[in-house]
Amino acid sequence: MVLRIISLIFVCVCVELNAQQFISNNGIVSFYSETPLENISAVNKNVSAAYDLASSDLVFQLDIKKFIFPIALMQEHFNENYLESDIYPKSKFIGRVVNIIDEQATVSGDLTIHGITNSIKMVGSFIKSKNSVLINSKFIIKLKDYNIKIPKIVMYKIAEEIEVKVNIELIELK
Amino acid sequence: MKKTIILSIFFCSFSVKAQDNLLNLLSQDDEPIYISYLFKGTKVVNGQSVELPSKGVLQFTIQHRFGTLNSGFYNLYGLDNSQVRLGFDYGIKDFLAVGLGRSSTTKTIDANSKLRIKRQIKDGFPVAIVANFAAYVKQWQYTDNQLDDFLFTNQLSFAHQLLIASKINRDLTLQISPTLIHYNLVETLDEQNDKYSLGLGGRYKITKRISVNAEYFHQLNDKINSNVLSFGFDIETGGHVFQLHLSNSSAMIVPGFITKNTGNWLDGDIYFGFNISRVFTLNK
Repeated sequence: MVLRIISLIFVCVCVELNAQQFISNNGIVSFYSETPLENISAVNKNVSAAYDLASSDLVFQLDIKKFIFPIALMQEHFNENYLESDIYPKSKFIGRVVNIIDEQATVSGDLTIHGITNSIKMVGSFIKSKNSVLINSKFIIKLKDYNIKIPKIVMYKIAEEIEVKVNIELIELK
Repeated sequence: MKKTIILSIFFCSFSVKAQDNLLNLLSQDDEPIYISYLFKGTKVVNGQSVELPSKGVLQFTIQHRFGTLNSGFYNLYGLDNSQVRLGFDYGIKDFLAVGLGRSSTTKTIDANSKLRIKRQIKDGFPVAIVANFAAYVKQWQYTDNQLDDFLFTNQLSFAHQLLIASKINRDLTLQISPTLIHYNLVETLDEQNDKYSLGLGGRYKITKRISVNAEYFHQLNDKINSNVLSFGFDIETGGHVFQLHLSNSSAMIVPGFITKNTGNWLDGDIYFGFNISRVFTLNK
């Protein structure tokens, strides 16, 4: 009988918590490459993300083609030569929130860019209010970890380490 | 009892799969994916490609054509005999660009506008369609002006092209370019004022930054001029695109290279030329 009650509670909890999910389709991811010769930045305002309160699962997904550069030629080279967006159209992150202390969260999971998946861990602010979650984070990725090759001729124009910023507000899914 | 446990396991398995479910929650793309970057440059070799300068981008092109390779060592195989065209192209909108240029040898000023009608869509519309309209003024000198029968309109010619291209895969793009060239004044009585030709062209990327291009214009109703066959390399280095070509036609504007052309590949009437283009972002 006890077992029965426990499992019943478990079922209820599972169902109840599964229902609390947060989602966004217009998050912002930007990146910045800084070298003495040239600074390159791009922004993607169509990032989608979802968060499950019960399991702490957090996923992100974006279209590489939707990164907008201030200079069109950079955008062309980014898509054609570096990220090869025709072959690898999407980038995604599948992970979970490991802990939250004072609205500072640690998130770990698998980040896939350019068809290559790496386990990463990052920290950022994670502000949960009644029916939304606001996530702000900044982290560094290395181009060589994702097999993005920079030819020697432009080596001094593109940084090996790229700063990525994430800014997204997820709204409770009803 | 058992049922409840099974049920609870069932729901637990939900949370195990939650990450996949979460991914499924994210919006599925139903908007069309446009195919871009069909060519590296706005020209295949001599003729226009379906590419336009991006919005707010000014492209400056310096084009050189030399004499024929069979003109002998005395002319350094054509290098002594060079002509140049300077051209500017500007993207007003993503779908509209205008250009202005001048060719040295024929002293012709050209203006054109390119209008993107349709873009190629992945798993959808198979081709990109661009219309190109151009007008040409042959400059004249003051003495000519004093002739009684001088008419400004006689200096004009026009070209209308429909450029239809398809990116077959990431390396190969093919283009077909029906072309109408109209001369307000032709040189002989036998010539038609309207000349139709059909262009076929393409590019194949041999590396990420180098492509081989080929272009052929077939004369449909013109018996005087030869068909035009050209080959080229596009080499991209950061902000510049270098194009090196060989062609049996020496001019750089449509009425010049398609319809003022008597060169023949088999006779060695082959002209070497190159284009250098540089883009400037004026309006971010």
